[in-house]
Amino acid sequence: MKYETVIGLEVHVELATKSKIFCSCSAEFGGEQNDHVCPACAGMPGMLPIVNKKVVDLGMTAGMMLNCDINRVTTFDKKSYYYPDLPNAYQTTQWFAPICVNGRVDIETSNGPKSIRIKQIHMEEDAGKLVHDDWTDTTLVDFNRTSVPLIEIVSQPDISSAEEAIAYLERLRDLLRFAKVSDCRWEQGSMRCDVNLSVRPVGSDKLGVRSEMKNMNSLSAISRAIKYEIARHTKAVENGETLIQDTRRWDDNEGKSYAMRSKETAGDYRYFPDPNIMPVVIDDEWFDGIKATLPELPEVKRAKYIDELGLSEYDADQLVSSRALCDVFEDAVAVCGSAKEAANWIITDCMQVLNKKKMTADMLDINGTSLGQLIKLVSEDKVSRGNAKRILAAMFENHIADVEAYAKEFGFIVSNDTSAIEAIVKEAIASDPKSVADFKAGKEKALMALFGKCMKQLKGNANPQVLREILIAEINKA
Amino acid sequence: MDIKTLERLQKLNQLKLTEEETEKLMAFFETAGKDAEILDTVNTENVERMVYVMPMTNIIREDIAKKLFTRDQLQEQAPEAMDGYWQVPRLVD
Ligand SMILES: [Zn+2]
Repeated sequence: MKYETVIGLEVHVELATKSKIFCSCSAEFGGEQNDHVCPACAGMPGMLPIVNKKVVDLGMTAGMMLNCDINRVTTFDKKSYYYPDLPNAYQTTQWFAPICVNGRVDIETSNGPKSIRIKQIHMEEDAGKLVHDDWTDTTLVDFNRTSVPLIEIVSQPDISSAEEAIAYLERLRDLLRFAKVSDCRWEQGSMRCDVNLSVRPVGSDKLGVRSEMKNMNSLSAISRAIKYEIARHTKAVENGETLIQDTRRWDDNEGKSYAMRSKETAGDYRYFPDPNIMPVVIDDEWFDGIKATLPELPEVKRAKYIDELGLSEYDADQLVSSRALCDVFEDAVAVCGSAKEAANWIITDCMQVLNKKKMTADMLDINGTSLGQLIKLVSEDKVSRGNAKRILAAMFENHIADVEAYAKEFGFIVSNDTSAIEAIVKEAIASDPKSVADFKAGKEKALMALFGKCMKQLKGNANPQVLREILIAEINKA
Repeated sequence: MDIKTLERLQKLNQLKLTEEETEKLMAFFETAGKDAEILDTVNTENVERMVYVMPMTNIIREDIAKKLFTRDQLQEQAPEAMDGYWQVPRLVD
């Protein structure tokens, strides 16, 4: 008999907000334990939650990127929960009217294109961190992550292999990063995934017994875990064994999944409306405002860069790997007019600075308009390439609104004053008669020595062609 | 409400009720159940679900991070705290 796998994914994504979902504490990653905490997120009595507007903005953005319907009246509910990393004894989430429903993500695998339906996206709060202390045999609680805003994206069980799951997750990550919904960093836990999986005979309309693996945090682990579970389920079904529905932990080092002690309470969360949070009503103005901020899809930009701007496929791929690169690129091209130059400056020079700072492309935070000005100054021979790199480095530290004025102020403008160049050339020739004699004797290298000396004296601010011409003319005169 | 359901609710809510409390609650649920039956008789066909009792919506705030309390202030009243953590009985799964 042939078997097929049925997989549904629940993906948690931390939203790119400055503050938490229901209080003003910082949502930034890291910090000392309990440094980002207030009476509200510490669950103290009498504190009331107030919804962060940006969370709704980003929830809507995610829904629009994933082709969802947006619920114009969306509400929050309480989900019973009894671990101390959520001090209220419930998680505030959405159950009755989640912000988005009925979406779709299109993927591409070796079997061709496929659509994965999205059941819903809901907004909710994250839980804190529990640390076990062996010395005192107690549990220590850190509420820094408690109430950090999340969306949970629930797919329909439309996925049928590890390859499709990975394609879906990669596409999801690309779209959400592009729309600046989240940085989606698996390694920091800002993207994580629960895998629901069952196996049934092909053609059966009844689902098999389901297992759930929670909090998976890398694509490679998810791929291995799915393959392992498919084999485990298939073997059990073939042997006529009865599987039990369970929650499992994936041990990536051992390459095995283990049943966790099943809780009797699992599955009965007794959701009920949170009376302390008023409904959020999204009017047309709010809805249209968000719609207007949606970016072009990466593949649309890529085609445009190649077809309209004449970039190579390689350059276009590099740029669309990150929304930040695209934004800087487009602003720079608008000013300097040369797509090829702008792409080079971003892919080579900007990336070099980022690498040195151990930052990723997403963190590129220079002003594209300023970069465009700089590229223009170089192409007009007003600033040398070497000095332009120095100005670029300065752009990473401070916003430079008028690059030409900056270049002037710091002496980075190429001198067109030939008399100044001539003076320095004469000085160099007088101080180094040996190089002059060598060059006259046919040693080309000797000219480079003199050229270097002069360029250094001029702080790089000379048109190399002009300097070379003057140098040769003066040597011939000497 | 039967005793089985109440036992299940106790488990779900991690509560241990005394015999006296159980009796009291059973009586309460008896009355509450009867009240609910009355509500059930109302015809709600074609009536939209009431989302919220009060005519209030969009109590929202801008995304601005503020630090209003220090950790020490917050943990002053904690029953137990250690190294800047709240300290609770060991968690057993
Ligand atoms: Zn807080």
